[in-house]
Amino acid sequence: MASDSSAIDAALVATLQGDATLASYMPDGVYMDLAPPGLSKYVVVTLVIAEDRAVFGGRAIEDCMYLVKAVSLTTGTSDIKAAAARIDELLEDRPFVVDGYEWITSHRDERVRYTELDALDSTIRWHHRGGRYRVQMSRSLSSV
Amino acid sequence: MIKTGRYGQVLWDPAGVVPGTPTEIISINNWKLSLKTDRIDVSCFGDVNRVYVPGLKDISGSLAGFWNSEELALVEAADQETPGLLKLVPNTTEPTFFWSGLAYMDADIDTSVDGAPALSGTFSAAGPWAREPVIP
Repeated sequence: MASDSSAIDAALVATLQGDATLASYMPDGVYMDLAPPGLSKYVVVTLVIAEDRAVFGGRAIEDCMYLVKAVSLTTGTSDIKAAAARIDELLEDRPFVVDGYEWITSHRDERVRYTELDALDSTIRWHHRGGRYRVQMSRSLSSV
Repeated sequence: MIKTGRYGQVLWDPAGVVPGTPTEIISINNWKLSLKTDRIDVSCFGDVNRVYVPGLKDISGSLAGFWNSEELALVEAADQETPGLLKLVPNTTEPTFFWSGLAYMDADIDTSVDGAPALSGTFSAAGPWAREPVIP
């Protein structure tokens, strides 16, 4: 079966988008790379690095590192704390189903937490919390 | 012609019959064949340097890849008390170029928390080996 690497990204995003609990903490949605302007509580997923492991005849394993973080404009931190914990529940050691692939592992390699000042208004603070998650998928090892 | 290693191949027939019907061991990404010949030191008084004559060729090597629960050929080969037929192809786009012969196999599995379990093995000749095509 043919495999599409972007389907791994899509499966991860869909897992986060489909969770009502995470949506209750971050109601503005889950986005790949950039959220639309004007939002204040959302989740961003970024593919940090993706390495391929080969065997004779083709690619065998795709080793992907994603930055997954909740981003919140609020001054309070309770929602972002809960959101980061929920992201971890959804991704840590949870198998993904992706056409053309078999799941190997998904786990957090590093925790991420920082606050930044808004670029236009220094009285506004953006809170970021989540982690770098490693997702490894094999391309149907029975055929390579 | 120089070719990529991307299309290398390792085949194995546990029956150990030549020419046999070896089948591919999947999830392998590396093989190495050593064709070193023993050198016997025949240096004598008066020689200005050491002098050697060739002895027997020692054929051995290794292979490596990922542990795949759907592919147990190498692990089972390590349990065999009789040799099987090993065939090593540098590139399957030139399938007529290969080395093959009877061999004993060993296996190693290397599992760590931050990577896919790796499978590797070593082999030693258990009979005469041949290179195809034979170049006169």
